[in-house]
Amino acid sequence: MPATLDQLSARQIAAGVASGAFSAVEVAQAALDAIAERDADTQAFLQVSEDLALAAAARVDALRAAGRALPPLAGVPVAFKDNMNLLGTRTTCASHMLERYESPFTATCVQRLLDAGATPLGKLNMDEFAFGSTTDSSAFHPTNNPWGLALVPGGSSGGSAAAVAAGEVTLALGSDTGGSIRQPASLCGVVGMKPTYGVVSRYGVVAFGSSLDQVGPLGRRVEDVALALNALVAGGRDPRDSTSQACEQDFIAHLDDPIEGRHVGIIPSLLEAPGLSAEVRVAMRLAAERLEAQGAHIVEVSLPNMASAIAAYYVIAPCEAFSNLARFDGVRYGYQEPGCATLAKQTSLSRARGFDQEAKRRQMLGAYLLSSGVYEQYYLPAQKVRTLITADYQRAFERVDAILMPTSPTVAWEHGAISDPAALYLADVFTISSNIAGNCAISVPVCLGSESGLPIGAQLQGPSFADARLLTFARALERSCSMEGLVAPGFAGRGGELA
Amino acid sequence: MRALRQVLKDWEAVIGLEIHTELTACDTKMFCGCRISHDDAPNTNVCPVCLGMPGALPVPNVEAIRCIVMAGLATNCTIQRRSMFYRKHYFYPDMAKNYQTTQGPVAFCMHGHLDLRVAGEAALERPDDTAQKADDGSYLARIGILRIHMEEDAAKMVHVGGAEGRIGGATESLIDYNRCGTPLIELVTQPDLRTPEEARLFMEGLRQTWLALGISDCSLEQGSMRCDGNVSLRRRGEVCMGAKTELKNLNSFKALHDALAYEICRQAEVLESGGTVRQETRHWEPTRRRTTVMRVKETNDDYRFFPDPDLAPFDLSDEFVEECRARIPELPDAKRERYQRQWSVPTYDADRIAGDPALARLFEAAVARAGVAAAPMVANVVINLVPGHERLNEAQVASIAQLLAQDAVTFAQAREVLDVVDGTDDDPERVVDERGMRQSTDADALDAIVREVLARSEDQVRQYCEGNRKVLGYLVGQCMRAAGGSGNPKAFNRLLSERLETLQ
Repeated sequence: MPATLDQLSARQIAAGVASGAFSAVEVAQAALDAIAERDADTQAFLQVSEDLALAAAARVDALRAAGRALPPLAGVPVAFKDNMNLLGTRTTCASHMLERYESPFTATCVQRLLDAGATPLGKLNMDEFAFGSTTDSSAFHPTNNPWGLALVPGGSSGGSAAAVAAGEVTLALGSDTGGSIRQPASLCGVVGMKPTYGVVSRYGVVAFGSSLDQVGPLGRRVEDVALALNALVAGGRDPRDSTSQACEQDFIAHLDDPIEGRHVGIIPSLLEAPGLSAEVRVAMRLAAERLEAQGAHIVEVSLPNMASAIAAYYVIAPCEAFSNLARFDGVRYGYQEPGCATLAKQTSLSRARGFDQEAKRRQMLGAYLLSSGVYEQYYLPAQKVRTLITADYQRAFERVDAILMPTSPTVAWEHGAISDPAALYLADVFTISSNIAGNCAISVPVCLGSESGLPIGAQLQGPSFADARLLTFARALERSCSMEGLVAPGFAGRGGELA
Repeated sequence: MRALRQVLKDWEAVIGLEIHTELTACDTKMFCGCRISHDDAPNTNVCPVCLGMPGALPVPNVEAIRCIVMAGLATNCTIQRRSMFYRKHYFYPDMAKNYQTTQGPVAFCMHGHLDLRVAGEAALERPDDTAQKADDGSYLARIGILRIHMEEDAAKMVHVGGAEGRIGGATESLIDYNRCGTPLIELVTQPDLRTPEEARLFMEGLRQTWLALGISDCSLEQGSMRCDGNVSLRRRGEVCMGAKTELKNLNSFKALHDALAYEICRQAEVLESGGTVRQETRHWEPTRRRTTVMRVKETNDDYRFFPDPDLAPFDLSDEFVEECRARIPELPDAKRERYQRQWSVPTYDADRIAGDPALARLFEAAVARAGVAAAPMVANVVINLVPGHERLNEAQVASIAQLLAQDAVTFAQAREVLDVVDGTDDDPERVVDERGMRQSTDADALDAIVREVLARSEDQVRQYCEGNRKVLGYLVGQCMRAAGGSGNPKAFNRLLSERLETLQ
């Protein structure tokens, strides 16, 4: 019986290409076939880069034909959130502002996956400029959750999570400013990691909140995510991003290390948080039990200032967003309002018509928060909160190796079910603090909700630059939860056969 | 309007300067690898970073940081070991990101000063009772420096079809991003300057310092060094500051002086007629010799400053600062002092040479060859003969200075010789000998000629004795003719004077 691509791990694909079981071009064609078959339902892609994919795959096959050693992700199908520049594609940020913007260069994170031999299948949908947690604010179309097409996939990297969950690609890159990798991963039942701030270069990724943004991989297996991270850090720190840092280089070697005798923290008060659904609470207990069963000690810890994280975030993130998005004025690139008599009119109308509601809301908020007199009352205290939260984490990580908590308070909800932006902001309560502190965090599928039947992810957070150890805990959780490699039920096996 | 010196007897002018200098010595821009050049075709030295393309990130140019630290050390500033870059927001296409990366409250260099010696004519603008003046009328003024911070330059815009090249009414605006992102340092003085001459001397002294450090070509015409002036008036003896105006387009030392002088007189007239000075930015019009209103500032612009999250705070190590200190060459003040004290070079010459690194290098190399005794003559050659003979080497300068010091050639002949050797390796002395230009300095032979000329010039000798000293020139000419052009006029002049004095 012929295998379909979605059954294979990244390592199996690379090994198959290396051994000649199938060619990279055959893998690329299978991925294109799967996308053609499945993406009409998910609408995860904004562009499919067929030519780039086939060319990259052909280069891998040529390497093999020449008898050369193949790179670690040879032939593995990947796709990128559409805020990442890839030469030969548009980088739209799911905004009318950049609808026709052709990438003039390739982002470091994208280039490093290409250097590892991965096959680029295209660009994935997102909330406009990454402002949101549903992907509904994409200017082009919403993306549907593969576990229920009426449901949101989460966001802002909703396209990345949906494409992986539906088996359209093996790996995807997302970016996480306040939970934008982990929350959609949880809602779509895949693994999504936000590495420590500084581990992955931001060069070439359109900035939202520069001090919070971090690029990370999404996959159906912890091992796939670890392999992607290996590729993302290969070559060391990126000299083009002065906030990137040198870090450990091997995230695979210790993946299956035992966690026996290690300490995992839980924060009991978080499980009493209002809005946390009963089935998520059950799933968290399950996750703790599974880790305990493998010999880990469950320890109660506290992050006393975590409640202030959302407030600090909704000051810092809009301020940075206002500043980062100021460049979109229609002069050099992007949407330009035609027929304006003055520069001032052209600038304001281009911005008024190029940006959608949420992008405007955040920029106006930022412009207000940075204005003189207001800045001192909000931005400076928010930075102090940031220091306090970082100190909270440091104290907690003196006692434990990882902290276990929910990723999202609920499973996926229906498109349009939450219309109050403030209610959506509050749903980021579990993810935001590690963007504020910069430490690493990952969401791993634990089970399907007892009531909803929808996937629930558990979040593990680790200390800064202990990303490899965090992956060990993630793998331990995965090993005991029987969700590994899961493709959303309606999609498994639809197209993407490998001869 | 009353004259400046009159006005300054009643009013005290409070002047502060903001001086921008492009670090043209850096090979690349402040935050990217693009080349810095004034001459290239528009928009050729650009990349995703300086064009502000989405996703591009800045990487600071360490060489530029080294330059600003050297600038701070040379102007007695405290070097801040930790400082940050900030973003200053305004929507205008000359900044590709619609914000300028600059510095916040803590600049790399804080609280320095520069000492000025104000002498001669320049000292007359300052009323005698407001400064401690020496017997020769000169005085010292210490001018505080508030800060020197690092920032990036904006793009150049050309507005076509509008009035006076402004954007209002223009049919088309062109942007050249070659300059965008050039490392720029901005020095802000304390309001310590009291006269336009002091402002000019400060600017000149600063330019000489920057040139000695080699951080910029400091071209006022090309705009790599630019100055804005702030000036307000208050009654002598008052402590409160008056409303100030900001002056733009001060692109020469003369413009800086004249614009401030005009503005001081204008403000005095306004105040004396019972009016008030409006806080505004004014444009110096050099041809009409006056300032006109550019824009009135009613509210302070809100630039929404905040720390740039793309650039980590800068921590300067002691080693880095010491490395910068070691790279600072002898500065103009110390050079001037040494030339005067040790080499007996006249003040004016010492000033001119010490302030120009290229001249100073040539001068010192030539003195090394010609000897310290010849230093004043070498200085004379460097100032008066080298301009127009820019390709001379130090050996040629030393040689011609020695010939002049020995009275072996006249100044006019020296110029002729340099015309020949400039751009070659020829020794001026060889050219002088080849062309038979050498002036006789044989005292007996010259004396014989003098005696012979005096003997046949009874009329002129009588006139001289009657007090008509002008005939001396005629007699020198006669001697020169008798010597067939090989005698030294200065020697004849001296011998003739001596003899004529004894005749009286």
